[in-house]
Amino acid sequence: MGPDSAPDPPVPWRKVLWERQPFPDNYVDGRFLEELRRNEGLRQYHYWAVVKEAGSVGQQLSCVAIFITVWLYMEQGLLSPEVLLLTSLVCAMLGYGLHQVLASTVDSGDEPRTRLADLQSAAIFLSFTYGFSPVLKTLTESVSTDTVYAMSAVMLLAHLIFFPYTQPSPPGSLSLNAALFASVCLASRLPGALHTFAMLSCALLVFALWPCLLQRLREKAPSQFTGVCVGMCIGGIGGLGSQSLVGAVLLALALGNVTFFCPLLLITLQRQKDNIQGPWDEAEIHEDLSHFIQ
Amino acid sequence: MVLKIFYPQCCNLANSGLLIGSWIQGHNSAVVLAVVHYPFIPGQVKRYIQQVSTASGVKLSVLGSWSLPSEAEKGVENFLRDLRTIFPQDRWLQISRKMGQTGFNCSILDRSQGTILFVHYDQRNVMLSQLHPIQTEELDPSDSELRQVFQIVSLSQPLFLLDRYDDGPLKSTHWQSGGQEASIIVELLKMASVPLCLTISCLLHLLPLNFLCSKLSTCVQLSYRSDHLRALSSPKTAVGHSEFMRKANVLVSILVDMALGFLLMYWLYSDNHISMLANALVPAADHVAKELEELLQWLMGAPAGLKMNRALDEVLGRFFLYHIHLWISYIHLMSPFVETILWYGGLSAGLGLSFALALLSDMVALLTFHIYCFYVYGARLYCLKIYGLSSLWRLFRGKKWNVLRQRVDSCSYDLDQLFIGTLLFTILLFLFPTTALYYLVFTLLRLLVVVLQGILHLTVDLINSLPLFAVALRLTRFYRLAEGVKFSVLCDEPDTPLHLLMEINPLSCASVIKTYRTPTYSCYPKDSWTNLVKKLFVGELIYPWKHKTIKTD
Repeated sequence: MGPDSAPDPPVPWRKVLWERQPFPDNYVDGRFLEELRRNEGLRQYHYWAVVKEAGSVGQQLSCVAIFITVWLYMEQGLLSPEVLLLTSLVCAMLGYGLHQVLASTVDSGDEPRTRLADLQSAAIFLSFTYGFSPVLKTLTESVSTDTVYAMSAVMLLAHLIFFPYTQPSPPGSLSLNAALFASVCLASRLPGALHTFAMLSCALLVFALWPCLLQRLREKAPSQFTGVCVGMCIGGIGGLGSQSLVGAVLLALALGNVTFFCPLLLITLQRQKDNIQGPWDEAEIHEDLSHFIQ
Repeated sequence: MVLKIFYPQCCNLANSGLLIGSWIQGHNSAVVLAVVHYPFIPGQVKRYIQQVSTASGVKLSVLGSWSLPSEAEKGVENFLRDLRTIFPQDRWLQISRKMGQTGFNCSILDRSQGTILFVHYDQRNVMLSQLHPIQTEELDPSDSELRQVFQIVSLSQPLFLLDRYDDGPLKSTHWQSGGQEASIIVELLKMASVPLCLTISCLLHLLPLNFLCSKLSTCVQLSYRSDHLRALSSPKTAVGHSEFMRKANVLVSILVDMALGFLLMYWLYSDNHISMLANALVPAADHVAKELEELLQWLMGAPAGLKMNRALDEVLGRFFLYHIHLWISYIHLMSPFVETILWYGGLSAGLGLSFALALLSDMVALLTFHIYCFYVYGARLYCLKIYGLSSLWRLFRGKKWNVLRQRVDSCSYDLDQLFIGTLLFTILLFLFPTTALYYLVFTLLRLLVVVLQGILHLTVDLINSLPLFAVALRLTRFYRLAEGVKFSVLCDEPDTPLHLLMEINPLSCASVIKTYRTPTYSCYPKDSWTNLVKKLFVGELIYPWKHKTIKTD
């Protein structure tokens, strides 16, 4: 029986509007709630799978921590720019080799970049950074240190927020730019032009090239990916710990939060999820309409 | 149905006779223009009306008869009625005055009786006045009644040429001038003006006055004046009211301008003022340069406690200081010739005060050339930074400007593009305040000069465009420029129709200036204030006056 208790007519009610029926317009019959659907398209997550995925977030956080550690070392003069440059060069060569090895295992559909293009890009990076480093050195001279720190912090946070965690291979413009801006700000606080150059090369390695390699690793060797993530996290905590214990503790807490607590929260809260769908929802067009639009 | 009769005041006491005038098309009213007295021969009257109609273009006719009390006898009454058969009309007015009555009596023959309204007008004033807003002079039945009245009266000037003292076959009453003003000097001037105009226009056609350099206000003023003179000296007489007024305005403004110029010249050359000015000019320029140098020194430090980029600050400051140094050397090189230049420049005042002012404006522009240079450098640098920053900010967010669609699209950049873009963005961002401060200071200086030049330009423009003749006409002969009319009741007696007096409402002074202003470049639309502020913000160059519009318009 519907909301309007009309006397039972001989004709059964049909859910059509083009026919004149002896029912009011808002009439529905008893089968109304049969079409109720709950939690459609729900995916059941497994805790450890979520933790594994969250590892990439934790890994990025550790990357930022490692970069800050390197900067702290540079600023206190504990790390000479030559050493940093040499280390960066070695890391870059190793990473490039690994990248090539992983690329050759399975042929991808896209046209791969040639060695010449890579060399060209590298030459552009190095020459521009080297050429601009004296300018960058004097850039923030008159700006107060606190302002520079605040700007760097905001920009690094923006980097972490806007980082495309699912598809990091072509790095997201905003996140990469924010990270580079922050590294230019920080690098301009260092004592010499060579320091600035070394710092910027390091930033390029950490923020631009490392996510590409990691993405490749994740696609081709998922088992190693977890290990690399754990390694990065430990490296980040250890590096920060050598400079400030409080920072290390905070980083460890944050990492634990992101990788263990947040997935737990997600899975427990998912049980509470209750959303309903039914014929009252607005219409969805599933058909491909492209042949209408010529 | 009200019949309106416009009756000239000068015919109030005319001897009896025929009313000559015109019916107004499309309205139930008539204008009386003249009274033709007895005795007359009907054939001559008809021929005369025919003549005047072809000369003036107004369809004149005999409207009826007019009788004054002294002859108002019974016989005349009948005679007047019979006249109608001689001049066949579908309407016949019979106006008469009675003894002891101020008002007229009027009867319309062969028509259903309606109310009659007399409107008395001053024939001379209406003939000479021009009703505003100005429209074409031809008679148009779609015009309003009042406009038609004005046009009929002013067009039927040939009718008024018939003099009371003429020894012709017809005698009539209407407005009459006290006689043509016949001054021998005026006649000689009129005779002389034709060859004078011809020679001036020949000279002007020979001179290549189409100046390419529209930047110098003296040249602009010269080309204006030559245009004016060309218009004045065209041998054709002015057709129509507005062209006549324009010519007269231009002539008067040129004369006044030259008189003021001669006054200025008298002052300049009388008491050795020229050398005084010349002696004061070089120290003044020196002083300005010194002040600028101090300003630059201040900017190179920490101006107002702002933190500027030290390296860029120093580079810019040194560049500008060197520029000032160059400028001072130039001024000192020029200083022996300044007095001569001023002496010859002062002669230009003979062409008019406006020329002297335009020359002054040019001299101000030349003497503050260094400020202009600073401003241009600052503005170009600032503009570059603004554009660079805005496009790099788009790159920073991973967007780009789509030129074809005129919108911001998202775009995926290469790694090296992103890297270099961010590097440049950072550099531009941190150098921006320094450039902006330099730009701000020099823009303020430039604005000072622009305001000064703007005031000079406005004065020149005022001299060029003020309709002095029209204003004088409004002040001395207020009825010449009419805005409308006002009516007052003349007499309202029983048994006579209502009599109204029509007086001319003079045009207000503001609308005189608005209507008769000579078009100059200040009449064209200029930049609005918001546009100016926008230009200043983006770093586009500003000029005291938009010269380009003259060329395009």
